[in-house]
Amino acid sequence: MTSQAELLAALAAGERDALRRLYEAQSVRLFGIAQAILRDRDAAADALHDAFLSIARRAGQFDPARGAAEAWLGAVVRHAALDLARKRGRERPTDDPALGDAPVAPPQHDALEGSAEAERLRRCLDALPEKNRQGILLAFVHGLSHPQVAARLELPLGTVKAWIRRGLLTLRECLA
Amino acid sequence: MSGASPLTPEERDALAGEYVLGTLDAAEAAAVRARLATDGALAAAVAGWEARLAPLQSLAPPEAPPPGLWDRIAASLGEAPARPAVTPRPFWRLWALGSTAVAAGLAAFLVLRPAPAPQLMTVLLTSPEQSAFLVEAGRDGALRLAAVNAPGPVPPDRVRQLWALAPGATAPVSLGLLPPEGRFTVAPGTIRPEPGMLIEITLEPSGGSPTGRPTGPILFIGRLAPARGT
Repeated sequence: MTSQAELLAALAAGERDALRRLYEAQSVRLFGIAQAILRDRDAAADALHDAFLSIARRAGQFDPARGAAEAWLGAVVRHAALDLARKRGRERPTDDPALGDAPVAPPQHDALEGSAEAERLRRCLDALPEKNRQGILLAFVHGLSHPQVAARLELPLGTVKAWIRRGLLTLRECLA
Repeated sequence: MSGASPLTPEERDALAGEYVLGTLDAAEAAAVRARLATDGALAAAVAGWEARLAPLQSLAPPEAPPPGLWDRIAASLGEAPARPAVTPRPFWRLWALGSTAVAAGLAAFLVLRPAPAPQLMTVLLTSPEQSAFLVEAGRDGALRLAAVNAPGPVPPDRVRQLWALAPGATAPVSLGLLPPEGRFTVAPGTIRPEPGMLIEITLEPSGGSPTGRPTGPILFIGRLAPARGT
């Protein structure tokens, strides 16, 4: 079986079929990432479409020394989905429950397992104050903006911004 | 973030972390992205955060994408979709245009040959630089295919498969597997060649497509059109 890193290298070398094979191997996981951020299948499909065009263009920029191919692919998809969420006006607070984020529960970080990196991150997240951790998880997994996290956690916007920034700093120290 | 002003290492790392987390607004995120190409320190900080937070990707539940999504991606890339398009897209039209120019030249050459002259013909090609196949449908109903120049090699466990899609049909019909040298005749009565019929070659696993439909990428494609001089 060919690894995702080998497929990215083949794609960068101009092998056209490599992108289809990457799609076959990764699209279910990657669509899940986009759908968690956008919570709209049509929009998530648009994000995955844009992401795969970007992957086709940028495959040569993947550097195996900097991380796993799966993580790189996931990052491309996340940023495509986040761009779409921004275009759809996520920074504007809304009272419409269909547009708001009331149904989004903070993801459970207990599920982080399976690799040393995942378990280390779980332990470091454990050490954060709860709302701090929830803000980071809601932002990463569900693409919530600062105002949306503030609304979801019923905290002032300024507090959320400061907590998230401090939370990231604590995480970095914990993981160093 | 204010323009291209220098950042302290702490500011840079915080900015990179928020970029990866996704909390920057559209203008801030665009500014970071624009800066990544030229600011190596910022790019390294972003890569560090992508690696640190990557395990969080697994918290999104996997979900199957809609079925037509790959075809849409392939079409946007200017590649043929895995399944043939029934309605012409701009991309097909361009292709037809390209083949017509080549076809006109080849047709002029063909009519000089002894009878029977082909009734219908097309040239299958992917781009003007690549090798092409000439396809002729004769009055006898046979479809003859010949490589105009040597077709490139196929991967060891792959084979070229020939298909026809009649106008209005939804599923292509397999016409057989092509020998490596690229010369092939489809016996009369296998299909009824008609103008507008799509002829394509896909790359398939050894033994041909396991599903009876094209599964691999389309290597060559063209539409049958009346040959000149007949």
